[in-house]
Amino acid sequence: MHIQSQVPIRIGLEEKTMKRLQRILAVVLSLSLIHVSMIQTAHATLVSTEQVARLADGEQAGSGHARLTTALSRADVRAAMERQGVDPALALERVAALTDDEAGRLAEQINSAPAGGIIGALLLVFFVLLVTDILGLTKVYPFTRPVR
Amino acid sequence: MQLAYLLAAGWRKTVSSIACLLALFLLAGCASPGHQALSSVEDLPPRTELAETPFFADDSHFCGPAALATVLTAAGFPTRPEALVGQVFLPGRQGSLQIEMLAGARRQGAVATVIPDALHALMREIAAGHPVVILQNLGLSWAPSWHYAVAVGYDLQADTLLLRSGPLKRQALSLRTFMHTWDRSGRWAFVVSPPDQLPATATQAETVKALVAFERNASAVSAAQAYRTGLERWPHNPTLAMGLGNALYASGDKEGAQALFRQVVERHQLAAAYNNLARLLLESGNTNEARLLAQQGLAVAGPLRETLMETLKAIDDAAQTPKQSIPAAAEHRGQ
Repeated sequence: MHIQSQVPIRIGLEEKTMKRLQRILAVVLSLSLIHVSMIQTAHATLVSTEQVARLADGEQAGSGHARLTTALSRADVRAAMERQGVDPALALERVAALTDDEAGRLAEQINSAPAGGIIGALLLVFFVLLVTDILGLTKVYPFTRPVR
Repeated sequence: MQLAYLLAAGWRKTVSSIACLLALFLLAGCASPGHQALSSVEDLPPRTELAETPFFADDSHFCGPAALATVLTAAGFPTRPEALVGQVFLPGRQGSLQIEMLAGARRQGAVATVIPDALHALMREIAAGHPVVILQNLGLSWAPSWHYAVAVGYDLQADTLLLRSGPLKRQALSLRTFMHTWDRSGRWAFVVSPPDQLPATATQAETVKALVAFERNASAVSAAQAYRTGLERWPHNPTLAMGLGNALYASGDKEGAQALFRQVVERHQLAAAYNNLARLLLESGNTNEARLLAQQGLAVAGPLRETLMETLKAIDDAAQTPKQSIPAAAEHRGQ
């Protein structure tokens, strides 16, 4: 951050390479984590409840391919969370708290799914929302009271 | 050029919404979703308020953590919004996502179950003493203002829903307005509960989903408790029985786990149950019965074919080595 940028294009490229490296590192780490967990459960190798649930839903769970897809989507979610400003250590915990199914869905939707946080109304639509508030169709402004 | 185009597009949208508004003015007389949704709630008390529900005021972007802290504290998992921000808030989106709200609740030890998308379900939960987290779109579909609030009461006479919402401790929102804002979120709502309780209205499918997800974040003992709670209501659900078997095994109750897997084998002929039972029998040195079950499982394996082949191979490997080596090896690992 403190470096005076004389060649901004080069720095941009380096950032890109760094991001790519980070992503590759994330995938490698996730895969190695899976490997460790497979070794740990090797003496039992029970079919997990998550897998049973997915099979009950008629999905092709349990194959090596499914496990790889899950690993990739977990790495994706982690990288996306960090891009969205989540601390890397917290992002790791947050991804670990998701089921395989949730991680898969979040990987697709993290940039588009509804994010409850309110107060995002633009000035452009202020009047429209004011009218709809008064009609009782929306409830953006705390001071409005619907007509009926 | 682009700016002009954007402005024009924005203007077009505004014009079309004004047109829509005029149309709505004309239609307003016949549309009243609040009353329609209320036709099936005769069995409910006319007004309920969970006045004891805590309130965490929020006037920034932390309605997700605030709503979550509200219901968790009410369900017996005391916490504060500040403690949850790092677990559910996404700075880049200035909000919290639905999936992470559920995961955040589980991380505090609660079961988080999505309830049916109907007003009477929402009211039944409140009447049963469960405050409900709801997602609203307070704005319009094309200018969304996503917001989490907690429904803590209703009054059928006054046609209002009572909410802990953002900076408002007791917002009495007309049912009609509420339904508009809730419709735009796909009527999403969830309840958190301790592992020995279930929401009043949850469907079997949503309960199974919630409990299987709970197992990921819970200790083996509370996961087992949660599955037992689910099985009390749906005793014949094979996924819940498998979950209880797995949780018992993880908590060290191998005999209990065997009994569960055996039950699922007999009732449902589930390949996963054959596999897990065969694995436990192998572990206890009963290779002959283990092989028999793995072979029966292979016949119904479907997508689990690979898994059952591995189990059969492990059984064959164990059968070739001297008998005493298996328990010895297990003890070794234990140390």
